[in-house]
Amino acid sequence: MPANPKKRVRSTASRAGASAAASRFASLSAEMRGCAIFDPEKLLAASGDGEGWLDAGRALLEAADGAASEPATHAHVATEDGEAFALRLGDLAMVAVTERFVLASLVFADMRAALREAAREAPAPAASAA
Amino acid sequence: MQKPHRLVLDRMTGYADEAAAYLRRRRLTRKPFARVYTEGGGGATHASDTDQGRALFLAAARLIDTAR
Repeated sequence: MPANPKKRVRSTASRAGASAAASRFASLSAEMRGCAIFDPEKLLAASGDGEGWLDAGRALLEAADGAASEPATHAHVATEDGEAFALRLGDLAMVAVTERFVLASLVFADMRAALREAAREAPAPAASAA
Repeated sequence: MQKPHRLVLDRMTGYADEAAAYLRRRRLTRKPFARVYTEGGGGATHASDTDQGRALFLAAARLIDTAR
């Protein structure tokens, strides 16, 4: 997943911070089916047992990048079976699946808040020794 | 002349009716779509019969299956 250098927020998020942010996001609406937060290297948090989220999430972001002339910041695909959302914020990315007919702007706003929360709760980089 | 509270109530009921009708129309008329947004704030819709659209719908279907 290529990182977006223009909007680099923070390069890391802790698993605990991402997990808390994902849980909070998932609890916001009954229409939420699941979500995952990941960075370029690994899955940080996901609904359920987490299996399959990393590959499926990356695949959606890659498809979004392939559809645009530059790296996609976010994407929304509405199907008959549900709706898929992907959002990139710096090095972090988040995907979510909802029921049909949700308000996309609200979902994206909540996803942005969750990613910011995950980045905020990451441990500060260790200070270099003097 | 109607009492003021009745006027407000009627107006609120009218708004609610309009909102409900809007949501009904939205559910009936909305078809599957794929939209991708980029840094500049621009967004593009990709039809499912294009290569990009097909890739987006396939990836979304896989993600939706993961959430089951």
